[in-house]
Amino acid sequence: MDENPGVSEGYRVASPWPLFVALGIPIAEIGILFGLVPLAVGGLLLFCGSIAGILHENEYVASAWRGLAVLSVFVIVAGGGLWYADAATESDLLVRAYSMIGTGVLLLLAGVGGELFARDTEPTV
Amino acid sequence: METSGQLLLTVLMGAFLLGVAAFLARVEDWRSYTPLGAGGGAVGESGYGHAEKPAGLIRWLTTVDHKDIGLLYGAYATIAFVVGGLMVMLMRAELTTPATDVLGSATFYNSLLTSHGITMLFLFGTPIIAAFSNYLIPLVIGADDMAFPRINAIAFWLLPPGALLIWAGFFPIPGVIPAQTAWTMYTPLSAGVGAGNQANVGVDLMLLGLHLTGVSATMGAINFIATIFTERAEEVTWANLDIFSWTILTQSGLILFAFPLLGSALVMLLLDRNFGTTFFAVEGGGPILWQHLFWFFGHPEVYILVLPPMGIVSYVLPRFSGRKLFGFKFVVYSTLAIGVLSFGVWAHHMFATGIDPRLRASFMAVSLAIAIPSAVKTFNWITTMWNGKLRLTTPMLFCIGFVSNFIIGGVTGVFLASIPVDLVLHDTYYVVGHFHYIVMGAITFAGMAGIYYWFPLVTGRWYQRRLAKAHFWLWMIGTNVTFFAMVLLGYGGMPRRYATYLPKFATLHQIASLGALLLLVGGIIWVYNIVTSWMEGKRVESGDPWRLDETNLNTAEWDWFEAKRETSLAATDGGEEVKTDGGQESRADDE
Repeated sequence: MDENPGVSEGYRVASPWPLFVALGIPIAEIGILFGLVPLAVGGLLLFCGSIAGILHENEYVASAWRGLAVLSVFVIVAGGGLWYADAATESDLLVRAYSMIGTGVLLLLAGVGGELFARDTEPTV
Repeated sequence: METSGQLLLTVLMGAFLLGVAAFLARVEDWRSYTPLGAGGGAVGESGYGHAEKPAGLIRWLTTVDHKDIGLLYGAYATIAFVVGGLMVMLMRAELTTPATDVLGSATFYNSLLTSHGITMLFLFGTPIIAAFSNYLIPLVIGADDMAFPRINAIAFWLLPPGALLIWAGFFPIPGVIPAQTAWTMYTPLSAGVGAGNQANVGVDLMLLGLHLTGVSATMGAINFIATIFTERAEEVTWANLDIFSWTILTQSGLILFAFPLLGSALVMLLLDRNFGTTFFAVEGGGPILWQHLFWFFGHPEVYILVLPPMGIVSYVLPRFSGRKLFGFKFVVYSTLAIGVLSFGVWAHHMFATGIDPRLRASFMAVSLAIAIPSAVKTFNWITTMWNGKLRLTTPMLFCIGFVSNFIIGGVTGVFLASIPVDLVLHDTYYVVGHFHYIVMGAITFAGMAGIYYWFPLVTGRWYQRRLAKAHFWLWMIGTNVTFFAMVLLGYGGMPRRYATYLPKFATLHQIASLGALLLLVGGIIWVYNIVTSWMEGKRVESGDPWRLDETNLNTAEWDWFEAKRETSLAATDGGEEVKTDGGQESRADDE
């Protein structure tokens, strides 16, 4: 393949985020399904981090940190749902619920902390 | 899992995330010369298109260019096709003898059978279509790129993890065995209940992998619908939208309604397996519920797989017939009709389950009705060739092979749609022969027509013509030997999915295996041809390598190719093509 301008080569055609969005989903899925805490936490961190990154890159959010904080709410709510379901059913969902809530808290901390303390080299809009 | 295992996993996961962070930091650094924000744009949209992509492996990992993603899909589908093909060669080797003398165990045969089906349908069929549509749709409708380039990349990158999960049972992971549920994953077997071994985690991993490929297909479909609706160039109207885009649009609509249902059903099955729900348990929704949900997805899936290849044939076949596609409008209408009807036929897979006879009759009627739009297409292809100026190039041969095999596959299907015939032939090799005429004889043939037809467009080089023709004839003969033998086996009453059989079936099974061997040889020739021609094939010497202008049948993607060639010839700092193009003699008569 050549790199010459054609129909679709007039603008940026690369982004590092899609690969990691796609990797985060299966890792988180396996972790949550089988109750493997490291995979659940790591996969969710990767997935949410990449989503925040891709939203920022597209300028759908002004700051990736704030995007991360918003995503953390969804993760905590989903974890809370599992925690509630654990009490309501016979299945043992506690470890999954805790790993999701824990990940959500980590994401929230990262989001708030980043927003307050990180110095972006790129100008925020 | 014990503590040390969890610790190890934590360390590995942490190291992986650190690696990702380091990689991102590096890539972001490389990117820093093209500022993101509108306010920081010192460079902005630079005119230097070639500087927009990073080099080497990073380019392929980070690309969101529809053409690159199309190539990634193509490479992925090729690998999956080779894996699925080798799996079935092992199965055909086993079936040369009535007992399990070759593989040694029926369990391994069942694993191969399951993986072969899922690999070919989900990891080869859908991706190879996505390869064509990603590369070509933006070019033929005059779009800059897909509507959502990043979603496009996410959709692709979901596939490799999906494949690894689907094949996970074959990897030497302690305690994990391959799924043996067949591709239809019927409950209660797939729910892991009973005395069998299908409660194994290998089945869960396969279901997860399948779920990922479904998410991927749905994302792709949304992207294509948005692209075809909103990104068309001004001169591309609904009235003159090409036939391939029409089939992709219809296919995407089918995916949008079918795949989320598969995803939901898979999640329900996973919940049944792991969390004690009773969606498909006898005391709950019942095992037949799975069959309804699965086939409500599964039958449209057949059309998801066959409509775009029909589009390729409708697109390519007229170019070598010297005429426009006969009855274009009706080919489009029949595509839409098949798309709509495909959701009303699912229970014809369940005629033998004891469902209400009145329901069965209505599903029989709709299933038979699908023969009408299918025949409209077939007659239009034949009429396009009628009195045409045929050029029997390799893509054209594959198109004709498609039509021929599609007729056999289609007619055998019409008989299956009839309840009394189905009750006799249900779960026999007749069914296997029928659908392989479609998936191998038709869908894969159309894929090969597309690969050979657009090979010059993508690579700027020619494939080796004699090898390509050898490939075609080996496959045409091999397909018919293999799958007609299966049709006959079915008439004889040979049930499908068995590793062993009665000695009276041995001859026909051996003939089918011989045909499969022809397919293997043809496949090896194909891979060799594509790889070597891509690297060192003769360069294309014109922007119209198929001489379509002579018959006034040129299409937009070749205009793009012409423009790209001119740009690359004019560029002073250009790529490799410039040096070689200037210095070589050309013979335009190759095909």
